[in-house]
Amino acid sequence: MAKAFGIVSSSGAHFQVKGMQEFRPISAFSFMGRYRIIDFPISNMSNSGIDRVHVYINSPRPRSLTEHLGSGRIYNINSKRGKLQMLFANADEMNTIYNTDIAGYAENLEIIERTHEEYVVITSDYMVFAQNFDELLNKHIESGADITMLYHKTSTAKEHYLNCNALNLNKQKGVVSIEPNLGNTKDKNISMDTYVMSKELFIDLIKSARRLSSVFTLAQIINARIEELDVRAIQHKGFFAAVTDLKSYFDSNMALLDIKKAEELVNPNWPIYTRTTDSCPTQFFEGSDVRNSFISNGCLIEGTVENSVIGRGCIIKKGAVVKNCVMLAYAEVGEGVHAENQIIDKWSKIIRTKEVVSEADNPGYVRREDTL
Amino acid sequence: MQNNMLAMILAGGRGSRLHDLTNKVAKPAVSYGGKYRIIDFPLSNCANSGIDVVGVLTQYESVLLNSYVAAGGRWGLDSKDSGVFVLPPREKADANLDVYRGTADAITQNIDFIDAYDPEYLLILSGDHIYKMDYSEMLAYHNAKNADATIAVIGVPMKEASRFGIMNTDEDGKIVEFEEKPAQPKSNLASMGIYIFTWKVLRKILLADMKKADSSHDFGKDIIPAFLEEGRTLMAYEFKGYWKDVGTIDSLWEANMDLLDRKNPLNLNDPRWRIYTEDVSTLPQYIGPEASVSNAYITQGCKVGGEVKNSVLFTNAAVAPGAKVIDSVLMPGAVVEEGAVVTRALVADGVRIGKGAVVGSADSENILLVAKRVKGVE
Repeated sequence: MAKAFGIVSSSGAHFQVKGMQEFRPISAFSFMGRYRIIDFPISNMSNSGIDRVHVYINSPRPRSLTEHLGSGRIYNINSKRGKLQMLFANADEMNTIYNTDIAGYAENLEIIERTHEEYVVITSDYMVFAQNFDELLNKHIESGADITMLYHKTSTAKEHYLNCNALNLNKQKGVVSIEPNLGNTKDKNISMDTYVMSKELFIDLIKSARRLSSVFTLAQIINARIEELDVRAIQHKGFFAAVTDLKSYFDSNMALLDIKKAEELVNPNWPIYTRTTDSCPTQFFEGSDVRNSFISNGCLIEGTVENSVIGRGCIIKKGAVVKNCVMLAYAEVGEGVHAENQIIDKWSKIIRTKEVVSEADNPGYVRREDTL
Repeated sequence: MQNNMLAMILAGGRGSRLHDLTNKVAKPAVSYGGKYRIIDFPLSNCANSGIDVVGVLTQYESVLLNSYVAAGGRWGLDSKDSGVFVLPPREKADANLDVYRGTADAITQNIDFIDAYDPEYLLILSGDHIYKMDYSEMLAYHNAKNADATIAVIGVPMKEASRFGIMNTDEDGKIVEFEEKPAQPKSNLASMGIYIFTWKVLRKILLADMKKADSSHDFGKDIIPAFLEEGRTLMAYEFKGYWKDVGTIDSLWEANMDLLDRKNPLNLNDPRWRIYTEDVSTLPQYIGPEASVSNAYITQGCKVGGEVKNSVLFTNAAVAPGAKVIDSVLMPGAVVEEGAVVTRALVADGVRIGKGAVVGSADSENILLVAKRVKGVE
């Protein structure tokens, strides 16, 4: 029996991805064409043998996320022993400062208390990485620490992972403090918002956070109690992305066009599960020219596609050029249209505007269901 | 049960003209169209036609087929009232274990299964045909004509008609004569092996057929003639659309190539009539920086580094940089290594074509089946 239940926490209100997030929470963003971001944390749980998973939802537009998760069966979780539960946290529309992860846990405290497992593994819903949580849990138990956190070492913290939490570590990989990455130095240990601890300590942290401040996050209460707790960190190796704004969404999709990185993240030993749409294979017509791209099923491609990630059921007409783009499902680029450095949202069509070009460091966004 | 009709799919055949492709799996389990298996077509048609209960009669090399169809959820056939049931021959209290001696015998041996659902109609399908068809429309026709049996037929070129079971009909579409592979065909309406029977009528005729010592217990040879002899109403239901019985390597290749045609009437991209199949957890297909892909049908999990032209690539097939695949079909997991050239070939599941190897040729009469690893050349 699994020793831990899992929590996929909801990304904080301090991350706003302009455009895309108006339609769905970050966790429901399409990723690498056929996945959604939430598929990564839940598949990590499932592959680690955790089959009771709580998914926190505090988005005002949860439809696409709840529809995607469904009963949770797609994630290869035992349908009797296991369970995927969606827990709704009441989002405060007046002041988003109240919409913390702790607020959600406090609201669902009874459900947390009723779980049978001794430990909890908490992970984030806006980050993409592969991690065996069972290994992490075993290391946590062996070490005797109160809390084990996962971090990713970066030397680009000035430009990336802004507002993510960063860990200050001592030489023994003990966590000395947790503070937001404000981009002031380049070397940082970015917290992957992934924690292992006993359920008992978790509940204690929720309660003590509520006593100290109504707007405390889990990271903040751990930081506030860092002196009395033995908090340790383990370094994650391999692909890691945090989707915190439009640029990081674009960049993380692009980074995976390096097939080696993509195969390290998703492979037969670590499958990432997602919902099938039963679309047929993709059809390439005479004259199509496709290079260095991920193409999902159900597309009809007659034009040129270069360095792009194409979602399911996209249409790329004759003479069209799609370069450095992330195309979401069912989008269309019409005859002779040139699209470059764009995020083209679901169901949108670029047919009348013949040139939609942005700079690579500031990708453009074509709104969902828009026709240009 | 919706529409009071239960479906039975005959999936016991070997398909020996597919040679090595059916050494380990029955023909209905053979891969087709990039991501499908042939039996996905009748099963998806059932699901899309509102049929809830489907029995699959298996016999030859059925381990893979049985486990494949048992996961009825793939076709949405897993609600409380529905299911896909695998029905291999079994030992019974009053009869020894015996193989299915013919298509009709396979049904007769499962009368108890059918009776348990008490259907008004029984739909008999073949597990190895590729087509999309709404069986509920055929049932409406069966009812409108007050038929005891309705047989789906398709017009074939007259010169090929002698290869099929031919239905001769009167002006109302009533079948007056059935001829199996006639030397001088009188009509070009070929039986598609799709039958709707009013169950209580068929049940009686099946039981009578069981007692005939000289019967081969076959629908075409014995049961349909018995219906005609009894003066029962047999109607021909003409189907207009894509229908393919892929009996040979050439025809399997051809059926795959048909998918490259923009106007292909099978259109697997129709959201109103999806063909459902196994869901695999792989990356989307990746087309490499030096790849060249034109007129191709490629699915999830494929990796293309080289050139692919006029070809169909199945799940997890790979074409290395510098390799060429032309006018060919790569079945699931087939790998073409660097510099290898594959022309007019059908490369079987998981088969590897070594570096620099050349297989098949543009002017070959038949399609080359590559079922074993081809060594690379230095």
